[in-house]
Amino acid sequence: MLSVSNLHATVGETEILKGLSIDVPAGEVHAIMGPNGAGKSTLSYVLTGRPGYEVTSGTVTLDGEDLLPMAPNERAAKGLFLSFQYPLEIPGVPALTFIRTALNAQLKARGEPEIAAPAFLRLARAKAAELKIDFEMLKRALNVGFSGGEKKRMEIFQMAMLSPRFLILDETDSGLDIDALRIVSDGVNALRSPERAMLVITHYQRLLDYIKPDRVHVLAGGRIVASGGPELALELERDGYDKYARAA
Amino acid sequence: MAAVKQTVEHVASLEKYKHGFVTDIEQDFAPKGLNADIVRFISAKKNEPQWMLDWRLDAFERWLAMDEPDWAKVSFPRIDYQDSHYYAAPKEKVGINSLDEVDPDILETYKKLGIPLREQEVLAGVIGSPRYAVDAVFDSVSVVTTFKKELAQVGVIFCSMSEAIREHPELVKQYLGSVVPVSDNYFACLNAAVFSDGSFVYVPPGVRCPMELSTYFRINAENSGQFERTLIIADRQAYVSYLEGCTAPMRDENQLHAAVVELVTMDDAEIKYSTVQNWYPGDPETGKGGIYNFVTKRADCRGDRSKVSWTQVETGSSITWKYPSCILRGEGSSGEFYSIAITNGRQQADTGTKMIHLGANTRSRIISKGISAGKSSNTYRGLVSAHPKAKGARNFTQCDSLLIGKHCAAHTVPYIEARNGHSKFEHEATTTRLSEDQLFYAMQRGLSQEEAVQLLVNGFVKEVLQELPMEFAVEAQKLVAISLEGSVG
Amino acid sequence: MSVAAALKARNASALPSRRDEDWRWTDLRGLIRVLPEPSAPFNGIVVKGAFDRLADDHRVLVNGGVTRIEVAADRKAAVALRLIARGAGTHANQVIVSLAAGARLRLLETYESDGGSLAHTALTIALAEGAALERVVLAADHEDAVTISQAQVTLAPTADYGQTLLSSGARRQRLETRVAHPGGRASLRLDGVYVLAGKRHTDHTSVVTHQGLDGTTAQLTKGVVRDQARAVFQGKIIVSEGADHTDARMGHHALILSDRAEVDAKPELEIYADDVACAHGNTVGALDEDALFYACQRGIPEDEARAMLTEAFIGQVVDRIWFEDARKVARAWAAERLRA
Ligand SMILES: Nc1ncnc2c1ncn2[C@@H]1O[C@H](COP(=O)(O)OP(=O)(O)O)[C@@H](O)[C@H]1O
Ligand SMILES: [Mg+2]
Repeated sequence: MLSVSNLHATVGETEILKGLSIDVPAGEVHAIMGPNGAGKSTLSYVLTGRPGYEVTSGTVTLDGEDLLPMAPNERAAKGLFLSFQYPLEIPGVPALTFIRTALNAQLKARGEPEIAAPAFLRLARAKAAELKIDFEMLKRALNVGFSGGEKKRMEIFQMAMLSPRFLILDETDSGLDIDALRIVSDGVNALRSPERAMLVITHYQRLLDYIKPDRVHVLAGGRIVASGGPELALELERDGYDKYARAA
Repeated sequence: MAAVKQTVEHVASLEKYKHGFVTDIEQDFAPKGLNADIVRFISAKKNEPQWMLDWRLDAFERWLAMDEPDWAKVSFPRIDYQDSHYYAAPKEKVGINSLDEVDPDILETYKKLGIPLREQEVLAGVIGSPRYAVDAVFDSVSVVTTFKKELAQVGVIFCSMSEAIREHPELVKQYLGSVVPVSDNYFACLNAAVFSDGSFVYVPPGVRCPMELSTYFRINAENSGQFERTLIIADRQAYVSYLEGCTAPMRDENQLHAAVVELVTMDDAEIKYSTVQNWYPGDPETGKGGIYNFVTKRADCRGDRSKVSWTQVETGSSITWKYPSCILRGEGSSGEFYSIAITNGRQQADTGTKMIHLGANTRSRIISKGISAGKSSNTYRGLVSAHPKAKGARNFTQCDSLLIGKHCAAHTVPYIEARNGHSKFEHEATTTRLSEDQLFYAMQRGLSQEEAVQLLVNGFVKEVLQELPMEFAVEAQKLVAISLEGSVG
Repeated sequence: MSVAAALKARNASALPSRRDEDWRWTDLRGLIRVLPEPSAPFNGIVVKGAFDRLADDHRVLVNGGVTRIEVAADRKAAVALRLIARGAGTHANQVIVSLAAGARLRLLETYESDGGSLAHTALTIALAEGAALERVVLAADHEDAVTISQAQVTLAPTADYGQTLLSSGARRQRLETRVAHPGGRASLRLDGVYVLAGKRHTDHTSVVTHQGLDGTTAQLTKGVVRDQARAVFQGKIIVSEGADHTDARMGHHALILSDRAEVDAKPELEIYADDVACAHGNTVGALDEDALFYACQRGIPEDEARAMLTEAFIGQVVDRIWFEDARKVARAWAAERLRA
């Protein structure tokens, strides 16, 4: 599914990713863990094509298709979804309007018919109920004045509405209390399927109790420095990143 | 609360305008009035070379053709430029070599003002306390500059402007008037013709000036103006922090202070310029007397990534007209302006800054805190502009006014000119009065009204005070308190 | 000399220039060396106006004229006022509006031109106690026109005045509002929207003078400029001595969407009373790149994301229009200008 090979990327003058490679096959969940400043968010932005994050060498493909020349919305239409570490506030645009615009744009890009308003609202009500989101909140400007936890929940709601094929969760657990964490994880797990894959970026092993990864990678100094099974996350939780930070 | 209490007690022990005394010494005056001969007289008194005299005479010609500006929100009787002495100096020979040659009365004056002119006095202070070098300007002349030798060892030139003209003509010729052109404005032009003394600083490439430099300006003579001129150049990667203090005796007539300060920073250089201005503000009841403080201060951030930071605490003068500015020419250069302006009695202040963004990725930050009390008027006037080439320019401005009493005025007049689509300007301004609720809260906890006011005012200006070097901050905090005495109740 | 007087005297050199503090960014004298000839009377037919359907009283002034709009005590009215310039002449309009106590008026005003005209409109608007007026101004001028509109508004205590200017600029376009605010729980909303392209210019200038206790003013202007357009915002709030408990807030926020466009702003406070809460905020910048990326990441194409974000930006002002049908017209106008 997603294949990243020897990726180098710079922000401004600084090289942040220094030869990163990772393969996430369809149906699998991979976790990326690493110390602060390792380049985890940078990876998520490079994959989704954020301006200012420049790829200097390496390749990124989704189902064999080169992602790098694509604009961010084209990548999104291919099914790439990023749950932002710091979701943006969009003043003046109600959450529902925003999501409907996005969904229709994606459908259109894929040559599928747009979704009609009643069907969209039905879907939104159902998903909101699953994620225990007050429907009234969806009429407010997206994320404006929302708490940190509400913003994260709104990310997962958008994910549920857009049903992407490849999911990147960047520190989605931060700012969530235990109940919210369970609701959010249920939402994510509901999207697990043989055709989908995900990359779960996290700092703590806690989230991985809820979203069980098939593989765990350690990102340090802009590279994957170790990979293993779920037990690697437990080891990191116990011993910290020192060993790997030194290796990087 | 102990700290507050202490401050309050300390303040209570100070008189209102403690710098209002006169030093009785023999003075050398230029005859009253202003004409080309007076300009020649000043130049001759200072043993200036011909090029300097020519520069002054040219400025004088231009000044005659100019009109006094009237756009500031201040009003005052027309100044009679012929009714003032343009040169006043203690009777001494020029070029004193040691402190022992300085008139003991002058030394006493500075002692009373708390300015250490004897290097050993500074050294004898608390161990580890920061040292600072002083250039003391008494009316029209610099009487002494301390720590010159030590500074010279690292290549820093710190001397009076008169000396710089004689000893470093190449530097003076290169930079004088290059930031504030001779005919920039009415008062700057007048200054160019008749400027008396001031400080000159040159910090060579790569040098971090090892101590704070400061100039202490004192107007003493009657019927005289002070027209000092300061020029500071920080060459590539140099750093210097400079402090300026000013006081004057209490006199019934108005005295004109029309200074020009020019700063130049080259690549990666930084100048931090702090002012505590406490000229005599005039009589609080009648408004009689006081200094007209019409000053042009400007920095030219010529070098890439260079930085200038202006911090000012303006408490004195009957009229202040002053806009320390930054021309952000170098790529990535930055300018800062932190200001506290307090007016009480019948004072009028029209002050602010100009941040002119010319280079790409230039930054500026303006924090202005104005406090008006009594029957005073306090105006913030500022310009932020980004030219088409200043892509990535950023400005943040916060401009707050506090009103104490029913008969004062506070004005905010910002000009914002954005000429490209890649810059970002943010400006916020508020005007409020001292909160009754907060006052009551503090008084309920046992503070007197005066103490409570001070506490709240200190909170209001804190953001700016913390930009000042330590010793100045303490001084400034006291000043803030004194300036507002009797403003409530 | 005032613009009106200069036009009356047919003296171009008496027009305000950049040397007049109030006109520093809207120079007329430098622009107009020779006054155009007086406009010829117009006998043709005018097409429908944007607000025709929303009003029961239609006033149309073509190439100058005078009209009076009076609403009696406790009566309601909706007036579509069209100030039209045909051709390239000079002319003046005069509009006198008065609302008796408790009267309510929707004043839906349009400026329309089709060439290099020079038009001046002087409005005097007076509201008695408890009267309410909503004024929506759509200034849809020709790019060669010079349009100066100057409104003098006088409020009585407990009056309620709301205004929204919508402007797409002209060669020079100045929409000026001066309000004498008596306090006394009178409330004032002064809003504006501009969307400029090409080499168009607009100037939203206002002066609000709070003269008595307990007045509120809420001002919000937002604009978008493109190409080589230039927008000017000058807002001044004066709180006179004794006008305590004044609550006055002013916001001006502009987006510059090109390399060469320009926004000049001067949000001014002049305060002579101490028990007040006054504030202004001003921002000028590009569209938030982070928000743009966020929208694109969700699959929205960049152009559409830009349009959505700018419309939302402007929409926050349009949403403050009380009269829903006028709000719809405003929203459609903004969407069309933004997507043009
Ligand atoms: N916009 C930026 N400009 C410059 N450096 C950046 C920027 N964003 C991130 N960095 C730097 O890149 C490195 C990686 O950051 P990030 O990807 O956010 O780390 P993580 O998400 O792993 O904590 C850090 O050293 C950070 O300081
Ligand atoms: Mg991160």
